[in-house]
Amino acid sequence: MEKTEQLLDPVCGMDIYGLPDVRHVTHAGKSYTFCGDGCEHRFKQTPDRFLGEPLIRLENVWKVFDMGDTKTEVLRGINLRIWEGDFTTVIGASGSGKSTLLNMIGLLDRPTSGKVFFRGKDVSDAADVDRATLRSSAFGFVFQQYNLIPWLSALENATLPLIFAKGDTDGVKMLKKFEEIGLKDRVAHRPTQLSGGEQQRTAILRALANNPGVILGDEPTGNLDSKTGNKILEMLIGLNRDEKKTLIIVTHDADIAEKADEIVTVRDGEMLRDHHIHKRTYTEFNV
Amino acid sequence: MFKSFLLLTLKSIRYRSLRSWLTILGIVIGIMLVVIIFSLSSGLERAISGLLQSFGSDLIYIFPGKETNPVMSLVGGQKFKVDDLFALEKIPGVKYVMPADVATLTVEFKGEKKSVMVHGAPWSGMRPIFEESQGVKLESGSWPLSEDTNEIVLGNLSAHKNFKSVVRAGDEVTVGSKRMRVAGVLGLIGAQDDDNSFYISLNNFWMLTGSDRVAVTAIVKANPDVNLDLLARQIQFELGKQQAVPDFSVLTPAKTSQLIGSVISLVELFLIVIALISLVVGAVGIMNTMYTSVLERTKQIGIMKAIGASSENVLSLFLMESGIIGLTGGLMGILGGILISFLIGLGAGKLGTQGLFSFASLDFYGFAVILFVTFMTGIFAGLLPARQAAKMEPAEALRYE
Repeated sequence: MEKTEQLLDPVCGMDIYGLPDVRHVTHAGKSYTFCGDGCEHRFKQTPDRFLGEPLIRLENVWKVFDMGDTKTEVLRGINLRIWEGDFTTVIGASGSGKSTLLNMIGLLDRPTSGKVFFRGKDVSDAADVDRATLRSSAFGFVFQQYNLIPWLSALENATLPLIFAKGDTDGVKMLKKFEEIGLKDRVAHRPTQLSGGEQQRTAILRALANNPGVILGDEPTGNLDSKTGNKILEMLIGLNRDEKKTLIIVTHDADIAEKADEIVTVRDGEMLRDHHIHKRTYTEFNV
Repeated sequence: MFKSFLLLTLKSIRYRSLRSWLTILGIVIGIMLVVIIFSLSSGLERAISGLLQSFGSDLIYIFPGKETNPVMSLVGGQKFKVDDLFALEKIPGVKYVMPADVATLTVEFKGEKKSVMVHGAPWSGMRPIFEESQGVKLESGSWPLSEDTNEIVLGNLSAHKNFKSVVRAGDEVTVGSKRMRVAGVLGLIGAQDDDNSFYISLNNFWMLTGSDRVAVTAIVKANPDVNLDLLARQIQFELGKQQAVPDFSVLTPAKTSQLIGSVISLVELFLIVIALISLVVGAVGIMNTMYTSVLERTKQIGIMKAIGASSENVLSLFLMESGIIGLTGGLMGILGGILISFLIGLGAGKLGTQGLFSFASLDFYGFAVILFVTFMTGIFAGLLPARQAAKMEPAEALRYE
């Protein structure tokens, strides 16, 4: 598992040691190597941004599912950097490990080996309560299945993170947010009484309840028709564009990938280089 | 924090209301049983000791069969020869002996037929035992003076409640095949059987039942200031000489109350064991429900953890749920138990036994203990499944469908 020598792309973070056709850039007297022209281009635009510590950094992350006699290697030594304020999409075929990668980024799962850093701090083996605090304060999750709690109303679902974070809820403030997205008259409804779009918008309000800096979406439009999906996507991209929230979305959808600052392509548990070139290959129409 | 968690828990319980109620029911039954036993037992003891006192404190009872097994003797159908019983009058300290027998006979009054208990005993013995030892006088009429006239005395309830119209002294009833004049009606004794009985002379009883100078039991009236225990032993010895009933018992009031007391505490113990077992079954029920409900809600646990719930949060949510189920079960069990024992007390009161229901051995402190026990039962039953739920990684729980 351990490679003896590494050469990391300072933008996307992947290990490019020994790969052919890498790009070299000299900046402020130092030489940097890139996986492809995408990362090189981004570096050249704002080199100083990529010299510090990224928001999230994965270091040789492996995830192995042990199912008795068979072991499945879902992630195989991922090195990845997510920069604050970026809109990143993770694309790849079904079973490529992209959702597992998102779980690692959002602290929903622990890597089998390797490390996950959040703002330079190793959180992969932090105590459960610390990880819970981080999930509650720094991350907001939006799922493909909406994942609302069936026995709570839309309003109660959206305010649930407040209970876990602060022990109490502010129903009035949340009600206003429901009003803003035009769901005021649906707040008392249970998830089963809401349409998919309404459920997902509720889920987004829930993800934003604690005003986290990072929004994570696991195929958030995957269960919606294209019109509703676009509305949801606009909401999410708006958060990135207007509120400078870091947005990471796992998707099949080429149109979503198109709008991202960074595209991370995963195949067989490994990150591919030349992320920008592959975006067409692994999206909806070509899986 | 606590309030929000409580609300969350209540919503989750309500969402799965049928399963929650069934689990609660498991606890309710056990607690209800405990409450019924405690609230009725002191009343029952009091009622029985009152009954024993009404028997009279200077009377010794003789009946067939060993005293440890009174039921078998009645089934056996053995009867004493009355001459053997009357022979006991020779023992110093015995005032007189009253042989008595009992049978179920048909009594007809104004065309209405009823099967009733008819006691047969000599008037000469019956009258002083009722009047002196039990303190019950005739409510109306007068005691028959002859053992051979066709006369009958009615217990209070048998005169007032048994037939559609009230039987009065001077009326005529048909007992078996014999027309008899109602000589008198007894005042209320307070014991079910006695108040509902009919009394005739032993001579008439033998004629009606076709038996000859035998009696199933006898009451010995002692002289004042006689040691009843000593007298009972003498009677035991003398009566041991007769052959008709080889196994018989001689009971003094003190011994009777001791016997009944021990039977009651045995029954009580037995019932409490049953109640405890049903409580354990209830606890296993909670555990089972919590376990399946944890499995069912694995995905929701994952969601909660994904949006920031810590393991402790999840643990306390589940423990609150099982605690509330236990507490609700305890509360409903107490209320149900009180209601049922109150109804039993009411029913017994209607049938003549007053004051069966009481809070004497079950005060509010007792209720608090019960509620605490059921709450802890819930918590402990929920602990294992809840801990399993809490320690899962969110992604692991979310994968669960």
